[in-house]
Amino acid sequence: MRGLRAAALLLSPLCLLAASPRAALAGEAAGVAYRVGKVITMDKSDAVINGAVVLVAGGKIEAVGPAASVRIPENYRVVEFPDRWLVPGLVDCHNHIAGSLGDLNDSVYLTNPGLNSRQTVEPNNDNVKNARGGGVTSALLIPGSGTNMSGFGTICKMGGDSLSEVIVRSPGSLKIAQAGNPEWYWVGVGRSFMNWNTRQTLEKARDYNERWEQFDKGETKEKPEFNPIWDQFRGLFRREFPVSVHSQGYQLLMTTIDMLAKKLKLWVVLDHSEFDGWKTAALVKDSDVFTVQGPRSYHFERTCRKMIGNAAGWYYNGVTELGINTDSPVVPQEELTLQAALGCWYGWLPYPALRGVTIVPARALGIDQRVGSIEAGKDADFGIWTGDPIDPRSACLLTVVNGKVVYDVNKKPRPF
Amino acid sequence: MSAVVRLIVLTLVLATVAAEAEGQERRNRGPRRPRRDAASQPATASAAASSEESASTSGASSSAEAEVKKDKYLAVINGVVHTMTGPVLSGATVLSRNGRIIDIGADVALPPETQIIDAAGKRVYPGLVVASPSGSIFGGDPPEDTTDVFGLNMTIALAGGITTALSGNAAVKLTFGTTEEMVLSREVYLPLNYSTRQPQPRAELRVDLEKVRGYLREVRRHEIVVQTDKEAKPPDASWLKGKYEKYQKLLKRELIAVGSASTTHELLDWCELAREFNFRLVLRGAYEGWTVAPELSRAGVGVVISPRTTVAVDERLNRPNGATIENAKILHDHGVTVAVVPESVVVTTWGVGGRDLLNLNLEAGFAVRGGLSNDDAVRTLTIDAARVMGLDDRIGSLEVGKDADFIVCDGDVLHYMTQVHYAVVNGRVAYEKAKESLYAHIRPAGKRELAPTDDYWPKRHAWPADWKPRVRPATASAPTTQSAPGSQADSQPADGETVAPAGRDDEAPAAAREPT
Repeated sequence: MRGLRAAALLLSPLCLLAASPRAALAGEAAGVAYRVGKVITMDKSDAVINGAVVLVAGGKIEAVGPAASVRIPENYRVVEFPDRWLVPGLVDCHNHIAGSLGDLNDSVYLTNPGLNSRQTVEPNNDNVKNARGGGVTSALLIPGSGTNMSGFGTICKMGGDSLSEVIVRSPGSLKIAQAGNPEWYWVGVGRSFMNWNTRQTLEKARDYNERWEQFDKGETKEKPEFNPIWDQFRGLFRREFPVSVHSQGYQLLMTTIDMLAKKLKLWVVLDHSEFDGWKTAALVKDSDVFTVQGPRSYHFERTCRKMIGNAAGWYYNGVTELGINTDSPVVPQEELTLQAALGCWYGWLPYPALRGVTIVPARALGIDQRVGSIEAGKDADFGIWTGDPIDPRSACLLTVVNGKVVYDVNKKPRPF
Repeated sequence: MSAVVRLIVLTLVLATVAAEAEGQERRNRGPRRPRRDAASQPATASAAASSEESASTSGASSSAEAEVKKDKYLAVINGVVHTMTGPVLSGATVLSRNGRIIDIGADVALPPETQIIDAAGKRVYPGLVVASPSGSIFGGDPPEDTTDVFGLNMTIALAGGITTALSGNAAVKLTFGTTEEMVLSREVYLPLNYSTRQPQPRAELRVDLEKVRGYLREVRRHEIVVQTDKEAKPPDASWLKGKYEKYQKLLKRELIAVGSASTTHELLDWCELAREFNFRLVLRGAYEGWTVAPELSRAGVGVVISPRTTVAVDERLNRPNGATIENAKILHDHGVTVAVVPESVVVTTWGVGGRDLLNLNLEAGFAVRGGLSNDDAVRTLTIDAARVMGLDDRIGSLEVGKDADFIVCDGDVLHYMTQVHYAVVNGRVAYEKAKESLYAHIRPAGKRELAPTDDYWPKRHAWPADWKPRVRPATASAPTTQSAPGSQADSQPADGETVAPAGRDDEAPAAAREPT
């Protein structure tokens, strides 16, 4: 015991030395230590650490903790933000700007199961650059909602120069719009036809998947014919990626939950979830469906002359794991936190709102093992903020994606 | 006039003079807490004197008029008063009479029958001013004949803290429920076209301005000559009609010109014109204002901007360009008067919020993001917006003599959860959150940490008074609404709502509108 204490006494000055700020050492630093005023970790315990150090190496977070308990290795560069917040990189579930915008809607058929947004990804486009200014680091690029099934989405990072660098998962999701916008298709189609259309397309894909499953398990010797379109859907039925459902209004949401989640047993993410969609909260909270809300922040209920906050409507009716999306470019991608702020203006609460732009959408997309919180082993995606990120008055000073600085407020003119 | 009437008038005048003297003496005495209502004050001579005082200062000289037209007092008490042009006064009283502020301070005696707004725990700001035309609050021209003063959009704008906005070229107040004193100014700006893309009107403008400037020189020359030569003829003014008359006012700095300019060269172009002809100028857009802030300041230009305009840098240009969030700060630091408006100057109910008049305060929040101080950002929506429009003698700050246009908020007006609880226009309550169904359910007590009330979502509407529950089987399902913890603490009686028994949601009768 006495020996241990002596060792501790000997070691403590060394620890102090190690923790002292220093300039970049000669040669390449092995990693970076961010010494910040506050870390909103968004981990399972919702820990908020004041006076924290975050170690970053190899594009991953190595360690997070109070400055006193995290030892900064010798060859690490120390970046000081003593009165700033370090917040997980923001995640948007519903985005159209990570690719080329013009071909958002390839509305050739009413269902287009062969399409994939992967081919349209465009790293470093102007909209992506703007997104970084708002602290956004990951987004699901999905095709538009002009048709019932407009193709597969791609989860992209907002930093990186090549497809392999940018893409987090492909396919990220399958985009489905059961009704609403596809009603503009050609001369107009009704909801009963469109829902039949979507269902029978998915059932074809399910049949294909089942035939291959039987063959793979050896239940049948007859090898099914390979179909490049339906083959993409196999991951959907194995629940490797979700369906992103353009959902608007009470009726459509009920159909989505009934048809896609309960009957076809798909992994469902409700995007938009607008108008009076929150009235289905009771159904959603008892299911495994994820809800992401935006960009319509409120709904004017004419019948009782009330402005209902959509986010608050979902939240206070039981859907406490609620995400927020921008539908960028409908709302600029950098204004993701403004969408959360509006949710709060209409009655929601700030901390759940911050969860709604970080860990909740990451879980909804199944990428929470990589992004959405500040935890050891996760991707080094975060923003350094001047304060509460939900407040439009707070600015993101530095955005880091995969450990690399992709946005620095000191570069003029500062866009956001 | 009969001798009796004369006697009455004389008596009254004497009485009012005495009362005024007494009132003055009272004011000179030590600190006094504002009286909450007429009942709590001594109901004898001082009450009578007080009412006499009000009658005398309103300028009514005849007793008949004084009796007919009663002064209307409104006071907001106990709030933190942000005056904009002066200090922030904690717990001060703002007293208005007939729509004008007559006193601000800790020691303000309230006349009897003063309508009182208790702003304890809240903040008082001048009403927000929109310096760009909004087509959706008012009708056309003239505004008082074409506006629905009970309209939904006006209420929504008031709930956003707005008390004055532009309708076309007129500055109009959001006088909910009345057209009285609605129009503040019928001609705020003189719109000019000096675009390089339209050479014809551009050249015409220069020619016209030179012509009018020449005329004004001739007038000044004549003033000198006429001193020695009494017969000297003044310059011909017969042509000075229509646009020339306006240009004459412009060059005499009686009117404010307005133009649109966004890029560096457009802005410089306007600055040159304004300095050459020495007129007051307001420019809209100005997203590259930060590149020419000193020039704008020297030309005395005011700007109406949206701080978060996004325009990417054009790398082909060999000069600083593009939009920046720091625009408002840079312009303000150089002494340019900045008014902030959202990119979409409208009131809508379609749901995509955050960039229109429903959240004007958040727009100024983006100026803070770009480095402007919080106080200066509030000024871009109040006094500086009024200055840009040349109406800062009437609105934009809380000062004695100015219009009683103010809002009572439950926090910093720029915070994203701040709600307006009262909007007062011309000393009249134009909006009261608790009495208007639109936002009454959102944080009724103004406490941010608490959850909304049980009636947050509009599951049930007002039920008919004679409605009785039907006998239902014992297996009635539970209500679907979950009340969040803490909701009891923040609850207040729902306006006119009766809570329906469990499980009746499906059979609710046709929605009746809630009483307001």
